[in-house]
Amino acid sequence: MSENNIRIHRNLWENPWGYVESFFIGIGIIITGLFLEVFSTSQNAFTLSYPYNTIFLLGYVLVLLVLYKWFTNSQIIRWLTKVPASISSIVLVTILVMIMGIIPQIPSENKLINNLGLNHITSNWAFLLILFQFTTCLGLISIKRILQYKWSNLGFILNHTGLFLALTAGILGTGDLQRLSINTFEGKPSWIATDAQKNKIELPFAFYLKDFLIEEYNPKLALVDNKSGSIAHNDGKNLYLVEKGETYYFNNFEVKIEDFLPNAIRFGMRYEPVNEIGSPPAAKITVKNVENDSIQTSWISSGSFRYPYESLKISEDYSVVMTIPEVKKFSSDIDILTKEGKRINTVLEVNKPYKYKGWKIYQLSYDDKMGKWSNLSILELVKDPWLPLIYIGIFMMIAGAFYMFWMGNKITKN
Amino acid sequence: MTWIDFPLYSSIIVILWIIGLVFLVVSYKKRAVLKIANLFFVAGWVVIIVFVIKLWIELDRPPMRTLGETRLWYATFLPLIGFVTYIRWKYKWFLAYSFVMASMFLAINYLNPETYSKTLMPALQSPWFIPHVLVYLFSYAVLAASSIVAIKGWYDNYKGNFNIETLKLADNLVYIGFSFLTLGLLFGALWAKEAWGHYWTWDPKEVWAFLTWMGYLIYIHYRYFHAQNSKQALTILALAFVVLLVCWFGVNYLPVANTSVHTYTQY
Repeated sequence: MSENNIRIHRNLWENPWGYVESFFIGIGIIITGLFLEVFSTSQNAFTLSYPYNTIFLLGYVLVLLVLYKWFTNSQIIRWLTKVPASISSIVLVTILVMIMGIIPQIPSENKLINNLGLNHITSNWAFLLILFQFTTCLGLISIKRILQYKWSNLGFILNHTGLFLALTAGILGTGDLQRLSINTFEGKPSWIATDAQKNKIELPFAFYLKDFLIEEYNPKLALVDNKSGSIAHNDGKNLYLVEKGETYYFNNFEVKIEDFLPNAIRFGMRYEPVNEIGSPPAAKITVKNVENDSIQTSWISSGSFRYPYESLKISEDYSVVMTIPEVKKFSSDIDILTKEGKRINTVLEVNKPYKYKGWKIYQLSYDDKMGKWSNLSILELVKDPWLPLIYIGIFMMIAGAFYMFWMGNKITKN
Repeated sequence: MTWIDFPLYSSIIVILWIIGLVFLVVSYKKRAVLKIANLFFVAGWVVIIVFVIKLWIELDRPPMRTLGETRLWYATFLPLIGFVTYIRWKYKWFLAYSFVMASMFLAINYLNPETYSKTLMPALQSPWFIPHVLVYLFSYAVLAASSIVAIKGWYDNYKGNFNIETLKLADNLVYIGFSFLTLGLLFGALWAKEAWGHYWTWDPKEVWAFLTWMGYLIYIHYRYFHAQNSKQALTILALAFVVLLVCWFGVNYLPVANTSVHTYTQY
């Protein structure tokens, strides 16, 4: 039935290698990696860029093929294609990722964390080496199953080969991944982008920002504790949207919104609608204290970068305030100006990037201090030539997941 | 047809589904009743489809932009996935789960009318949102069920009447749950590429989702080759579920939380 029933006594490092040997090797790899971390002087993460990463991947797959074809009898290759090696590498990768999930991956004061490189696990030698063992296992068993040419291996191949492709292409591709950001201003062309290291990079085309648009929600009403300054109802969630004619209840106060102006400025006793930069929303509210029937009417405003906010004190303990409107949607109407003199118009929006000449162009951000009056729109440009390979891997795994759902666990079922 | 009609429609749907659920419970004693249960489920589902279509026509855009609309889609698709899973695997409790969850989402919408029109923050306004959340809802439910089976296995072990069939049920549930988990992770990656420019950024929630995935991966590989070591397998299954719980609830309490894009509490 299984090796469990017939316990064979064998010595360490005797054929075939089991879990003890596997973890021995795996932990050895990790310790080697940590030593490299401690003693390596280079501050930069280890990456390969084109053409070296392509050569590396092709060479790697070739070596795996050769190893599988002609060296299956060697101890190491036999071990790598067996479960103990896979499980030990999955467990050890999991442990290192768990460290990443607990220790913040930012510069640290702690000497131990710094020396062992535990705050940059993704580029830590220990992680890279154990991941190398992981992908080697994955690659070898993928080759093994593919070369068996059996339909029943389909799910297995989709899952394992898909993961192999996504992982190797993802890791090797980081060297060729370019992420740039560019500031564009309304009515001006821009073509100088900056990368993560703040280097200036000239683009082979320019962006002309025709219009930057922000749609906002209406502001919300909140009851604020005068002493602590914090929101005093509903735990600060699900606040009421300010809409003309609505009546809301806070504790024993009835608040009616008599009027609402999305852009307004105070003129004497009241607010008037204007069309001016920095004019905040304002609302006229009537507050009735249900207990003693006293009534107050006043204008309140969320304020903006140009104008102060106004709240209404309704008792010793509480005030009614208007929150700063949240952003619903922001978009940039841009023209891409090419060297050939063409103009390509498009509207960029969050979740709606635009593809141009191998670049994906994203709406990233804007001047949040200016809010809807921002003339600045920050775009991001991403070029990832390895993406097709990664997507092939991802879609193989998606197909594999459907296969898995449908077939269930056919192995232990019988 | 707008949200104004929602209380009427949702009441009809939930009542139909509750009747269906009652028949489903009865069907554990009398098999033939299951057909009647399904009839009520399908009837309720037809009503929700009618509501979604009419709302879509009325709004003149896909109803996928607000919190209320998102919940409406959950309520629409949960029964569908529930049925497909039921047809394939015949787990009645799973069918019940999908309808209870769907009714719950309708009830949340019914009780919070102000969220009908509450638009989502820009990054969440994506066609990936609903599939991403849906498959995770299912995955967590099925994996939780596998843990309950594991607890039963432990108890049986303790009592000395352990049956290997228990573990086989757990296996199958893990396979189904793991396939949903994989889809959730990959849909998330594809969405991230559209929204943030990169498919994988080792965001804390991503890290823990990956760890959950690895945990069940260990279980699957262990079971594959050690079909008889039931105790160890049960332990791995329990540990994997602990990781899942950390991913689900715990990430916000870890020192890494404030760097996550998955904390939407302020919205």
